[in-house]
Amino acid sequence: MNTNGLMAAVVTGPHGQHVGGGIILVALVVLAALCYGGVRLTHRVRQSRRRPEPSSPTPSNTAPEPPAQRRQPSSRPPEPPHPNGWAVETHALTKRFGATVAVDDVELLVPRGSAFGYLGPNGAGKTTLIRTLLGLTKANAGTMSLLGTPVPAQRSRALARVGAIVDEPRFHHHLTGRDNLRLLAAARGGDADQRIDPSLARVGLTDRAGDKVATYSMGMRQRLGVAACLLADPDLLMLDEPMNGLDPAGMHEMRAMIASLAEEGRTVVLSSHLLDEVERTCDAVAIVDHGHVIRQGPIDELIRGAGAAALQVDCAEPARAAQLMDQAGIVAGTTLTESGLTVTLPAGASRELVADINRRLVRADIAVYGLHESRASLEDWFLSVTSRLGDPT
Amino acid sequence: MTTTEPSLSQGRPEAPEPGRRSAPRTGSWLPTWDLITTKNLEIRKRRGLMITMLVLIVLPTVLFFGLRLLFHAIDPHIYAPAGNPGEFSGAANLTAEFGFIAAAALGAAAGTTDLSDGMFRHLVITGRSRLALYLARIPAGLAIVVPLVALAFVMNCLVTSYEGLPNPTSVNFYGVSAPDNLNQAGLQAWLLQHPQQVANGFLPGIAGGQGGKAGPGGPGPAPTPAQIRSGVDRNIAGLYSDYSSSELSESNPAINEMAKIGLWLELEVGIGFLVGLGFGALTGQRTTTTIVLIALEIIVTPLLARTQLPDFIDGQRLIIGIAMDQLRPAALAPPAGAGPGGGILLGGRGALGIPAMPTWAMISVIVGWIVGWSGIGAWRMMTRDA
Repeated sequence: MNTNGLMAAVVTGPHGQHVGGGIILVALVVLAALCYGGVRLTHRVRQSRRRPEPSSPTPSNTAPEPPAQRRQPSSRPPEPPHPNGWAVETHALTKRFGATVAVDDVELLVPRGSAFGYLGPNGAGKTTLIRTLLGLTKANAGTMSLLGTPVPAQRSRALARVGAIVDEPRFHHHLTGRDNLRLLAAARGGDADQRIDPSLARVGLTDRAGDKVATYSMGMRQRLGVAACLLADPDLLMLDEPMNGLDPAGMHEMRAMIASLAEEGRTVVLSSHLLDEVERTCDAVAIVDHGHVIRQGPIDELIRGAGAAALQVDCAEPARAAQLMDQAGIVAGTTLTESGLTVTLPAGASRELVADINRRLVRADIAVYGLHESRASLEDWFLSVTSRLGDPT
Repeated sequence: MTTTEPSLSQGRPEAPEPGRRSAPRTGSWLPTWDLITTKNLEIRKRRGLMITMLVLIVLPTVLFFGLRLLFHAIDPHIYAPAGNPGEFSGAANLTAEFGFIAAAALGAAAGTTDLSDGMFRHLVITGRSRLALYLARIPAGLAIVVPLVALAFVMNCLVTSYEGLPNPTSVNFYGVSAPDNLNQAGLQAWLLQHPQQVANGFLPGIAGGQGGKAGPGGPGPAPTPAQIRSGVDRNIAGLYSDYSSSELSESNPAINEMAKIGLWLELEVGIGFLVGLGFGALTGQRTTTTIVLIALEIIVTPLLARTQLPDFIDGQRLIIGIAMDQLRPAALAPPAGAGPGGGILLGGRGALGIPAMPTWAMISVIVGWIVGWSGIGAWRMMTRDA
């Protein structure tokens, strides 16, 4: 039998019947089952699973209340639960890449409804932490939850109300902005597709929604990224370096948008190495360095606690003024300089103390020409607590 | 061109309010219809890829038959009608060969573009099951490649059916011209009634008692009627198989045979797509995946099909091209007596030197490639860092 006979035998079977078509059909049925069969099942499963969602805590519209105590990883008593619950909660979270520890035993508590800055130098592990929280990469150790839902155990449920931009927002360049959002809305499910137009309007991309993303500027892609976040109608937004690539006007607008999102009661976690941005936008921060959270709390509280404020006193008799202050015992110290008197205020001093100093000098007949209070900025404090201060670069 | 970026402050009145509604369930591994259709949109809108698909799947058939139709219309005395069994087989094999490559390229694109475009991260953040994201790509991609192959094949069938030669009334095999439409008993009776043609066509293969291996005749002593009867009776199964094969190759395929070939073509491109998708998802690199699968189709498979390695025969049978070749409908095989090779492109397809594998093994290999690569791709999708 030649090869054709061989082929014919295979296709027609040992008894001359044609089995080739049957075999092809069987194989195609398997193929079709992989492709289309599941679609019908989807509806059945979804119908059978349609039951009331467990109620979640309602975020407050009031100003965020950050954790009362400064957190010291691994060696402190458990944090009391926040009245509104925590939007993000991690315990001993660790992520390693080989020998490199990108996220090191991180204890993080982000109050619901706050604008929270996650601040650290480049390479500190900010993005890795966000990626771990979002399930983009697996943690090596520790526990975490988003909006009170543990992840990764209930990752899908947790992420249903989370919007995020991680690194530079990238999209399918060959699709329009609207089509990209349609793709993401389809993945979101529910009524996400009905939020496409409002989201585009909110970020000001309605007029350009029909253009391909390839024609978008960096700033417009950032806006599209925010629009993608809004599809989830998110209770929690995690924005990783959202100001990257924006011009000053774009940064101003992005800052306003973040503020407005926070005002609506959404929790905004802003990861950045731009101290100024975080200081302007957020009411609480965590400082991360070498993968480790070294401080967290309200910005004002951290700065006050981190370093003493100084008061430059421009007066007629600096020496007598210094003696007066030392005798009163209301300041931490005094220093006479060529330009006058510098008074070191005690930690946590209020503005009333400045008024009191002025009052005492006037009563002592010392002419006061000016008082200038200089407090430590977030940058001063940041440099004082991170290892970058000692970097030769 | 200067573009002005709109202000972020626009459109605030339409801003969505933070909702306390129940969140949509996105954890199911089954893709939703919306997910499938939008993924299909994403693939479909790749203009370059779609042009490539058309060029690889539809254009060869259009050119193949278009030129023949044109030449026949210009000078019907020199150029035969466009449709005939040989052209049908050639065009269908061309569709199979290029269709596999096109489908593999499409699968590679579907399996990698979310990663390369940076959308995979966005999709994962939606909370949608990664398995659902993967499975949605399968119907989305097949919905593109399957209709294109069907279009090419329907053109082939139409030309063959309406612009072809009438079917011959006899079947030529080994130099014997026998009536068509004979069953095995009919062929046996006809051969016994025409001993002289049998002696000229098959001997000494039959009369020599070579255990069922019929072959072209050659010089030797004239067989006796008893030897001829004995030889025909002993080899009738093989002879009928060759007769059937020749009949199929010389006749325009019947409707049911066309349907079978169409299904085989769709299976071929379906496998190409699934392998491309799975391999693409595994590597994350579209170009590498496409090159490897093209090499598999036009280099590795023909080479292994042509070269029989006794110690590696079962390994050769694990190649999807070889398994699918054994499933190739007989009407697409080379005509009887053509010998090994002679297929389309680099040859080998439909003319294997490799012994047939059992049907269960063939099905296992085909199903194994489908399920195996789909499983590998899905696994990588579920475990990959985004």
